[in-house]
Amino acid sequence: MNGYRKWCLVVSLLMCASQGAYAVVNVFTCEPEWAALAKEVGGDLVKTASATTGLQDVHHIEARPSLIARVRQADLLLCTGAGLEEGWLPVLQRRANNPRIQAGADGYMEAADYLRLLDRPTRIDRSEGDVHARGNPHIQLDPTNIPVIAQALAKRLQVLDSGHAARYQENLSDFLSRWQTALGRWERQARPLQGLPVVVHHNAWVYLINWLELDLVGTLEPKPGLPPTSTHLSQLLEQMERQPAKVIIRSPYQGARASEWLSERTGIPAIMLPTTVGGNEAATDLFGLFDDLVLQLLSVTQ
Amino acid sequence: MNIEGLDSSILGPAFAAGLLVLSTHVPLGRQVLQRGIIFIDLAIAQFAGLGVIAAHVMHLDSPGFAVQLMAYGCAVLGAFLLYWCERHWPDAQEAIIGTSFIVAACSGILLLSSSPQAGEHLKELLVGQILWVGYAQLVPVTVIYALVLLLGKFLRSHEHPLLFYLLFAVTVTASVQLVGVYLVFASLIIPALSVRNAGKRGVLLAYGLGAAGYGLGLLGSALFDLPAGAVIVLSLACLGMLVAAIRKVACQVAG
Repeated sequence: MNGYRKWCLVVSLLMCASQGAYAVVNVFTCEPEWAALAKEVGGDLVKTASATTGLQDVHHIEARPSLIARVRQADLLLCTGAGLEEGWLPVLQRRANNPRIQAGADGYMEAADYLRLLDRPTRIDRSEGDVHARGNPHIQLDPTNIPVIAQALAKRLQVLDSGHAARYQENLSDFLSRWQTALGRWERQARPLQGLPVVVHHNAWVYLINWLELDLVGTLEPKPGLPPTSTHLSQLLEQMERQPAKVIIRSPYQGARASEWLSERTGIPAIMLPTTVGGNEAATDLFGLFDDLVLQLLSVTQ
Repeated sequence: MNIEGLDSSILGPAFAAGLLVLSTHVPLGRQVLQRGIIFIDLAIAQFAGLGVIAAHVMHLDSPGFAVQLMAYGCAVLGAFLLYWCERHWPDAQEAIIGTSFIVAACSGILLLSSSPQAGEHLKELLVGQILWVGYAQLVPVTVIYALVLLLGKFLRSHEHPLLFYLLFAVTVTASVQLVGVYLVFASLIIPALSVRNAGKRGVLLAYGLGAAGYGLGLLGSALFDLPAGAVIVLSLACLGMLVAAIRKVACQVAG
């Protein structure tokens, strides 16, 4: 009996010790790019999980029990915002019933709040398609946006876990300097891409196009979120004869059919680019994502 | 395996929603099988969806009462239409139901071509996900179901086709928003199918099978971290086959 008690004591002490050593901030993100960023800024002080992967359309998710459980345990919920997740995030927050991560709490952060979004509609009109009222939410595709979010995230982590404020600051400066170096490299490499005429499937690429100063000459969808109609496709074909694009871009979660159709008829190569971390094998982290974007786009100019 | 999803506050409301859906779908499913019109739930759900789309095209945006009214209204109109068809061409009813399903679906696509945002709302409405259900949402559905069950019982809906169609339309419009069209179909058909020809006792067996299917499905989805609706459908189907097989063997032994 005495031996058993001793064992209990040892086990419970061990459990306490391990909890102390691993008291991490649970960061739950809607998209994988923010999980990757939280890993950079939080290091081993945070545990990250993402609701979606780089291969899926963030507009929809399938409800799994673990998803609710993770949001329930989360100390920080980090999402793109600007309406991108409006189809499922509010109901997920409600079901998780975790006061730490409700809108307005310190544990809730929308990346889009810290940036000026592109494509802000001058008027909201349902006839213009799937337009987001606050602007285009695919902000992660401009690498100059990333440091802004990184700084805001570090501040937020310092509020939530003030005991480690210095460590977050350290991680942040380290990340920012590595990012600055990489950004210089990408901009140097991408110089030949300036003015490259492109056709995109869905208008998810505005930030990349804006950053690299590509020339958007056409969109496969007539309006965001709508399937191509025959009139639109024939106009697009006509336009390609007048003003040929160099490449047709689609994201991993869009079917290849539409872009291959256009590629077959025009001879313009169609490529699939990752929209976020995990979108293909090369995009293992934020650095890998932009390395791959620049590399793949350069490959079609040669 | 993963145990973090095994939380009664996560699985509890979903299980309650499942039991609630079964309460009406088991008896209605038996009638659907008898009448040989198993795809009627898909057609009714599509009519309700058409109502939602119409509400958006008419700019009745505010989610809630007006949209719900349009959904129920269109489902009931569809029910009248299908009842009328049954009276005139009873031998072609299954084909008419199938055709009205695709006609309603395509009308929806055409209406949506000018307003894709309504498509999102339609998906939210028709692709209800059982894990998103909270106890508060179960209250109005419980009231609707109680009325349906009482009316069905006292007015003998199995003897009055029009009443059956109307009650069915109201029930499915409520349940499809709660658990989605796959689970509605599964709850309607699988328990009723596996206890076919089982007489009075069959209803109890069907309820038990349905409850076990939802329970095991939810546990499986938590343990293996899979989408809940799909796991429940498969678990209902497996249990249904098991029950049907046991009944067949038992009949042969007895006979």
